[in-house]
Amino acid sequence: MERQEIIDGLIEVLRTVRTVDPAKLEHVTEETDFLTDMNTPSTELINIAAKVEQKFDVEFEDEDIDELGSKVKDIVDLILKAKARQDS
Amino acid sequence: MQVQGRKVAVVGMGGAFPDCADINVFDQKIFSGQSLIREWPKAAERDKQIRSKVSGFINDNDLGIEPIYLVDGYDWPETFVDTSGRIPDVNMATADLGCVWAMMGSLNSIEMAGWTKEETQSEKTGVVIASGGGGNVIMRNAWHAFFELGKKSRHAGSHMVDRAMSYREAANVSCLIKNRGVCESIVSACATGLGNIGYAYRLIKFGLQDRAVAGGVEGTSLETFIGFDAMQVLSKGFSPAESSRPFDTKRNGFVCSFGAGIVALEEYEMAKARGANILAVIDEYFNNSDGDGDMFYPSYGGQRRLWKGLSAEAIIKPDVVKVHGTATPVGDILELISVVDTLGESGYHISAPKSQFGHMLGAAGSVEFITALLMLKNQQVPGCINSENLNPELENFQKKEGWEGSMKPAAAYRDLIPQETISKEINQIVCLNYGFGGTNSAMAISKDN
Repeated sequence: MERQEIIDGLIEVLRTVRTVDPAKLEHVTEETDFLTDMNTPSTELINIAAKVEQKFDVEFEDEDIDELGSKVKDIVDLILKAKARQDS
Repeated sequence: MQVQGRKVAVVGMGGAFPDCADINVFDQKIFSGQSLIREWPKAAERDKQIRSKVSGFINDNDLGIEPIYLVDGYDWPETFVDTSGRIPDVNMATADLGCVWAMMGSLNSIEMAGWTKEETQSEKTGVVIASGGGGNVIMRNAWHAFFELGKKSRHAGSHMVDRAMSYREAANVSCLIKNRGVCESIVSACATGLGNIGYAYRLIKFGLQDRAVAGGVEGTSLETFIGFDAMQVLSKGFSPAESSRPFDTKRNGFVCSFGAGIVALEEYEMAKARGANILAVIDEYFNNSDGDGDMFYPSYGGQRRLWKGLSAEAIIKPDVVKVHGTATPVGDILELISVVDTLGESGYHISAPKSQFGHMLGAAGSVEFITALLMLKNQQVPGCINSENLNPELENFQKKEGWEGSMKPAAAYRDLIPQETISKEINQIVCLNYGFGGTNSAMAISKDN
């Protein structure tokens, strides 16, 4: 799965999160930070993680979530890592 | 302790009412004798799983609210959106349906009260709102994801606590209006609605707050409904409009309903000084417990002591008594007799609004309080619909040894219970509500003179 494909899917997920301003989803890059650039309430991050698991049909380990950074590239990396773990 | 000379005015009201777009429609339907009770599709589709199929319900998508579903086919929304744009998404994200109604009712009450932003956000403005809490649809998502699908806890969502905690309505309203005073919930089963208004009244009367948004809520929930259905205490076997029958000989249970009633209270002299429209003045509030160890059965002694407490330091001579009157077999007539034995057999009327909208549980006391405010405004008493025949014979509890109350049957008091809306001079109304656990509450309100 290509990284851009994951970002596109991630943006689809973010559009369903009512507390994320849709205008801030126009120019998302790997360096975009959920907390500082998108003003996402920190309580929503765990909801985003759960929705991402459903969307990409993967399951994250609790340790993965504990160590997760707040940038888009962090969650892309995590999805790829979880997918690789699933496939192995 | 009470502060001498300090009085409390009601200056705003709002809420969510079954089958009504707003409070004006509620006013019109109640005083024209209409029923707000309908067959509830969510109960009806369960067929033989549920005995009772009628309710005064409000749908997820009524009142300009749009439910957002995360997964197709799930019968519970992930969150709600206010299509009218009055409540920001960030506040909707922490709210269950009842909280949304509480926020809408609070905004309407504050708007009617005419409070400024500074007054609303003052340290002297409190929020006192609660729900009965018999069930909550929010837990369904957690139950399904965790127990049935075996998912990690995060799949229950990070808002399960704020949407399901006991004082969620007060918390959500406080975060929306940004008051800096008290934020609490008073929970007392079906006395919750009046209990919160009573507590808010005391906060102002005792000088702790100058203003308060107060009331009770019961969000639409099949979980709540089936709890009472399981107890076999819900009305069964009538058309929807005929299902709630306080005092009638054929009554066989209450109609489980949902809604919200919110009022704005303010210290009387402050309200008067700024030229507020005073809907009513609160004369007194009193509450007590039966003390007989019985969770469910109403107590004649408890209710007589309730009246005594209410009258201890206030002049109580009501033109209308707004009773709890649920349409359960024992409660109605025992309550009727406790009223008659206190006030006498004439000189007032009895109103049982549950005949028109059913029993809103945690919202009952506050929505019925709003009905009483509308009685003061309209100078009318809505009829007790479906109270067609009153028992010409004594009730079983009147035949028991040790019974100290009236030895007349319910039919002897027909004149007190109008079946259609009547017009009369109304200066004072007493509101009564009771709840499981033997809790009793009473409030007297008067027209501002």
